[in-house]
Amino acid sequence: MIEPVNYICERIEALNPIHSKKLRKSMEFFDDKYNELAGAFFEKYIQLLHAENKTLDYAIDCYLKMIADVNAETLEFLRTGKYSSSTFDEVNARVYASPETMAYYMHGLILSQFLWKHHYQVFDYFINTLPQYINTTKSYLEVGVGHGLYLSKSLEILDDEASFTVVDISETSITLAKHFTNNSRIAFNLRDIFDFDNEEKFDFITLGEVLEHVEDPLKLLSKLNSLLSENGTLFFTTPTNAPAIDHIYLFNNVEEIRKIVRQAGFQIIGERAFLSEEVSPEKAEKYKIAVLYAAFIKKADV
Amino acid sequence: MDRPEILKKVNDVFIDVMDDDNIILNYVTTANDVDEWDSLNHIQLVVAIEKLFKIRFTSKEIQSWDNVGAMVDSIISKLN
Repeated sequence: MIEPVNYICERIEALNPIHSKKLRKSMEFFDDKYNELAGAFFEKYIQLLHAENKTLDYAIDCYLKMIADVNAETLEFLRTGKYSSSTFDEVNARVYASPETMAYYMHGLILSQFLWKHHYQVFDYFINTLPQYINTTKSYLEVGVGHGLYLSKSLEILDDEASFTVVDISETSITLAKHFTNNSRIAFNLRDIFDFDNEEKFDFITLGEVLEHVEDPLKLLSKLNSLLSENGTLFFTTPTNAPAIDHIYLFNNVEEIRKIVRQAGFQIIGERAFLSEEVSPEKAEKYKIAVLYAAFIKKADV
Repeated sequence: MDRPEILKKVNDVFIDVMDDDNIILNYVTTANDVDEWDSLNHIQLVVAIEKLFKIRFTSKEIQSWDNVGAMVDSIISKLN
């Protein structure tokens, strides 16, 4: 195990031993390729923390706060069968408009990217597939940039001449992504995607874990369909049964996701579904355990 | 229902949630003693116990449990 990950796991083992069991299971899965990617990532991330006079311990505290939130939300979800918030206004007040909450939530999510097996698996799927689109991607749009990890990797993989555009409603996310990518080629737009328009269509759009944050995911996918070029590709991810402080739209299963993809005028080119825990599919269904779904889609043939 | 009876029922819940017939709990069993007792299973246990006994725990109660005995005592306090 590489040093920062080793340190994080030991610290979490001391602070939250019951949660560290999940991390140990993830670590058993990770290979040399993970070590290489995680090593490069943590080097950059720790620099970013230091630039803000923060340490890895700060990030670990953020991660554990996020875990406490997730556990509380999961408990409520299993009791009621619903996410605790159902409107954008609720989660906006609770999370997006709260810089303090956003800060710990973002740093927590960043760590989860390389601590949770299913987050890493989706990232791995993305970076292994994206090279197929180098020649056809002259313009890249990312909606809901989060911490900027996918954007950062897309900059590395795609053509040097490609343009990069980001749209996000969170100032915290944009600031973090700017620091993380540190690249003047990216046009950042702090605005709601429904208020965003562009004369030229985009060849590639990334939408990582956003659909569950909106009241009407079909409307969002339809909007992105209108922003996508005729032969363009959209990569998106979204989970089923994944309670969190800012999740409002509940997908009960993968088929519900596929259904809105079709309704929004898309067809699936490739897809993956990763379980969030090391359990059998039967147990996952019985206990409503989250599945992270990822797909490359294009406009449906008429 | 007395303490041993509740322990037996809680043991059955553990076996079902963790899908492991070999789990044998006692009052001082902790998460360190049961491999499968991780954060997700902990939440599943809480919900399954709530359903079985038709009770509802507070977050404070859940966080205060340091072993199975504390969990059993919480259940008893709700039933009486």
